[in-house]
Amino acid sequence: MPLMSEFSVDEVIITTMARQLKGEVLVSSVTAFGSLAAHLAKRLYAPDLAVLSTPESGMDVTPMPTLTLGQFLTDVQQGIPLTMEDIFDAIFTDHFRIWINPSQIDQYGNTNITCIGDWSRPKVALVGARGIPEDTSHLSETFYYILNHSPRSVVQHVDFRSGAGNGESRQHLGPHGAPTTLVTDLGVFDFRGPQGQMTIKSLHPGVSLEEVQERTGFPIGGGEGDILSTPPPTADDIRLIREADPLEVRKLELMSGPMAAEKFVNIYERERQTLHATYPRVGKLGRG
Amino acid sequence: MDKRMSIDEVVERIPNGATVAIGGSSISRKPMALVRALARSDRRDLTVIVDVGGPDVDLLLGTGRVAEVIYAFVGFEVLGLAPHFRRARQSQAIRFQEWTEYTVMAGLDAKIKRIPFMPTHATLGTDVLRVNPSFREINDPFGEETLVAVPALKPDVALIHVNYADIQGNGVILGDGHVDVLCAKAAKETFMSCERILSSEELQRFGRDVQILRVYSRGVVEIPWGAHPTGCAPDYRTDLRHLQDYLKAASSEEGWRQYESEFVDVDHPQYLTNHGGPEELVSRLKV
Repeated sequence: MPLMSEFSVDEVIITTMARQLKGEVLVSSVTAFGSLAAHLAKRLYAPDLAVLSTPESGMDVTPMPTLTLGQFLTDVQQGIPLTMEDIFDAIFTDHFRIWINPSQIDQYGNTNITCIGDWSRPKVALVGARGIPEDTSHLSETFYYILNHSPRSVVQHVDFRSGAGNGESRQHLGPHGAPTTLVTDLGVFDFRGPQGQMTIKSLHPGVSLEEVQERTGFPIGGGEGDILSTPPPTADDIRLIREADPLEVRKLELMSGPMAAEKFVNIYERERQTLHATYPRVGKLGRG
Repeated sequence: MDKRMSIDEVVERIPNGATVAIGGSSISRKPMALVRALARSDRRDLTVIVDVGGPDVDLLLGTGRVAEVIYAFVGFEVLGLAPHFRRARQSQAIRFQEWTEYTVMAGLDAKIKRIPFMPTHATLGTDVLRVNPSFREINDPFGEETLVAVPALKPDVALIHVNYADIQGNGVILGDGHVDVLCAKAAKETFMSCERILSSEELQRFGRDVQILRVYSRGVVEIPWGAHPTGCAPDYRTDLRHLQDYLKAASSEEGWRQYESEFVDVDHPQYLTNHGGPEELVSRLKV
């Protein structure tokens, strides 16, 4: 078992996310973690993945996590362009995967990115359900990650179901869209409880069962007997993550507040210089 | 037909109480110069339809132009939550309808096809179905399934921003298309701003990137930097620094008044000057 100091928690999470992806499916992402997991998976674990470089387009180019959702890589790298109709057709036909980063997930795998408190009078209005209802009614595998496992993020009941989990939510849905895997900073969780509740699949190196229970908003199953340890990243995993994200855009997802804000701007400017150096513009108007 | 018009002429075509669909996606290719003109007008009681909203919705809420928002998402992506949207949601200042990414597309598509609704599985098993007053659960007339009926969305006006257009109203989109084509086809009148007007011969060289067809366009306005502070790939990136200043300004009343006077209550040339001029923007935002 390598020491934790050889890799950081973001590298454990991204590697674990990458190892879940398989097959020949479109992989989209709106976050640096999702984008890096797709990139790593394609390089080492699932070579047939059709990775997108923006949330909705740029298929089969090398993705790089960028702060403007990859918009500037599509044009210059000539990836295959897609439309929003292509994206939702791929979701409805189950040729699509995405790692979703919800604000809350509950014991049944219901997820929330809409609000804290009651919808009609929220304590905190978040962003709105976006495309999560489509994912959780159609995909045969749905993947979630949370970077700060706590009783506020891994809860007994979500305040609002933006995405459908197991149990009651499945009444009219059938199995497609049911939660498959949650990866957090503490471990990997699946949904093998008697009514599809969350259970422990493995704990990351150095994490104890007590810590997981303490930081989870409900009594969690799967802790009986020997608990598996999450396989750590290999030297190749770590190298590929660091090469694909030299500006460490991924670290921003672990921060918040003014510290993150200032770092954003710095990375953003360095990103521009990097893009400029790597991919000089060839505009269509400039061609003969 | 020459469909060129000024920003003010576009605003004149949008009456109080109009339903306005806005293209783009969060911090990408929003028709912000047109939105700012609407924000500084005296229009009121607008219904705004967005698939993925960002500074567009937030600015119209912050300037008090809106009575209802239909949205799948409103946020500033990496920079966080939308401040005026958040405040309006929490204080119940106006009406909100939470939809989803596909259901907004389906609602626009139903309007285009002149049918009352589109069926989908999306939102079953979620609270979106519970809180959205427009959706209905229906039974499959051919079988046993429960489905959701998504009603047609009927925008009076669509506002979009594209890379290039000709004076007849054909438009080229080079980056991600988002839902602009659906907005343009579904609205009674579509107004399109563009980075540059080209001749129709030049425009045809873009082949399938000509996504907006002139039969759907009512007006064209040439507005370089017309999506700023959102990005317009591949012409310029999102201005994250400005959006951070926006978020700071929106956190206090005085800050917001100052922001309005500097960046909203001014015409587009002055807006660019207040950013240090186009050269400054080029140096920061061109890739």
